[in-house]
Amino acid sequence: MRAFGAILWFIVITMLVLFMLGPLAIVVVFSFNSGALVSLPLTGFSLDWYRALFSSAEFWAAFQNSLAVAVPTALLATVTGTMTALALTRKSAAASVPLLTALSVPIMIPPLVVAIGLVVLYVRWLSVPLGLGAVIGGHLLLTQPLVALVVSARMASFDRVALEAARDLGASPWQAFRHVTLPQIRAALVGAALLAFAISLDEFIITIFTIGSGNTLSTFVWGKMRTSLDPSINAIATLLLVITIGSTAIALRMTRYRG
Amino acid sequence: MSSARMPSQRLHAALLAAPAFAILAVLFAVPMLLLFVVSFWRVRNFALTPDMSLAAYARVFDTYGDVLVSTMINGGLTALICVGLGFLFAYAARFRAGRWGDALILVAIVTLFGGYLVKIYAWKAILSTDGFVNAILVASGLSAEPLDTLLYNRGAVIVALVHFLLPFAILPVYGQLRNVNDIQIEAAHDLGASGHQTLMRVIVPQCRTGLFAAFAISFLYAAGDYITPRFLGGGSGSMIGQFIAQEFSTRFNWPAGGAMSFVLMAASLLVLGLVGALFVRRRPS
Repeated sequence: MRAFGAILWFIVITMLVLFMLGPLAIVVVFSFNSGALVSLPLTGFSLDWYRALFSSAEFWAAFQNSLAVAVPTALLATVTGTMTALALTRKSAAASVPLLTALSVPIMIPPLVVAIGLVVLYVRWLSVPLGLGAVIGGHLLLTQPLVALVVSARMASFDRVALEAARDLGASPWQAFRHVTLPQIRAALVGAALLAFAISLDEFIITIFTIGSGNTLSTFVWGKMRTSLDPSINAIATLLLVITIGSTAIALRMTRYRG
Repeated sequence: MSSARMPSQRLHAALLAAPAFAILAVLFAVPMLLLFVVSFWRVRNFALTPDMSLAAYARVFDTYGDVLVSTMINGGLTALICVGLGFLFAYAARFRAGRWGDALILVAIVTLFGGYLVKIYAWKAILSTDGFVNAILVASGLSAEPLDTLLYNRGAVIVALVHFLLPFAILPVYGQLRNVNDIQIEAAHDLGASGHQTLMRVIVPQCRTGLFAAFAISFLYAAGDYITPRFLGGGSGSMIGQFIAQEFSTRFNWPAGGAMSFVLMAASLLVLGLVGALFVRRRPS
């Protein structure tokens, strides 16, 4: 009976893992397949799709735009999110939970709604041109709450005694932050920034509504998805997987986040 | 710390939180207010004119009532499947997988960050007529011809949404299962509780908030998504988000797009409220 249960669990979990990783594995495998169809049988190893991608000027333009959005987003979100987390450290849970929840509302409602709200603001009321700056604004809404949550979690186990000592010995708030707080939370900050970077890189809906013209990697992928099942999508998708999973893997190590 | 420092510290905290909340106010709160105002306007001669009209809301229920209901059903089914599979997976990672538990959670995290569009694209490649599943069906002789019924329907949308949202459902449940005390479980066994009784009376009650969070996240994302139904849904799998995007961008009918957005959010909150109420009532004393 116990052995039967164990086998049943093994089958169920194997199927779930296959369901979760299978689609991603297919994309990676077929990015190295010579054939033009994402279907069996495999036709042979080839780097042609990567060659086609790397020789495409459109791809490099999209890549540059993605960096021009994701890097400032990650840096700015880390600053504003960390400042919020520091502001909340002395507050009770009753005071800080509502504030963190309010900051998180943009990640709880459909991105489509956030996106059209931004378009109404930019186009009709601010007359701000759509473009990469407009995209960064939208991405900050999604990333700063996550930074605030990650850094707050780190600050919960923060040693306040050294900070009090520094302040009592005459350090300015900035000096105390620079020399006492920052060294203790640096890993969490780097982790949070990488998380923000990965989210910005992958974000599609707000990007497509607010970018105006031009492409980031995600809108570039969308353009290809709509026209055909061009296998070079597999190659971009694999690159994106490597970048986002790589940066989040480092992020999780640094923030020691588990579950 | 001296009490004389308190007022300046409060100011200090307010200043620190100011940039993030300024961004939230300008780029989120104000746009939502503007969108709400615009939802009562009218479009005359292709120009937005201020008005106090409920026409856009009437149009939502006249034209898109069926789609709205269908969206809630798709969202609800997706969320139920995510909670079920998510609990199964989290339970296995916590209690059954032994030292493989961490590896299972890593699988969930990898899928979480696996790329939004990439996943939708992968499902199209898997389910299309000349795709992966059909190749296996034909090669194994299970089907004489490739099936063209796998894609462009409600089922394809729900499968892709479950794939996208399952990690979001697993992680909050796992987070709570980790805090379940092993001693309580052993005590329940020693006192003669069956595996099923232990599960329902000891384990499930301790991860209720995680289960509800899993349902809420999956439901909100699924009901608000528009790329998955647009790409995989066809006629029977269409959802309200597609029509919001269409009214807003293609037809430049901002009042309709705004009204549909607020109806979608209100309907989603209503569903979550009902599910939450059921959840609370079922709580054993």
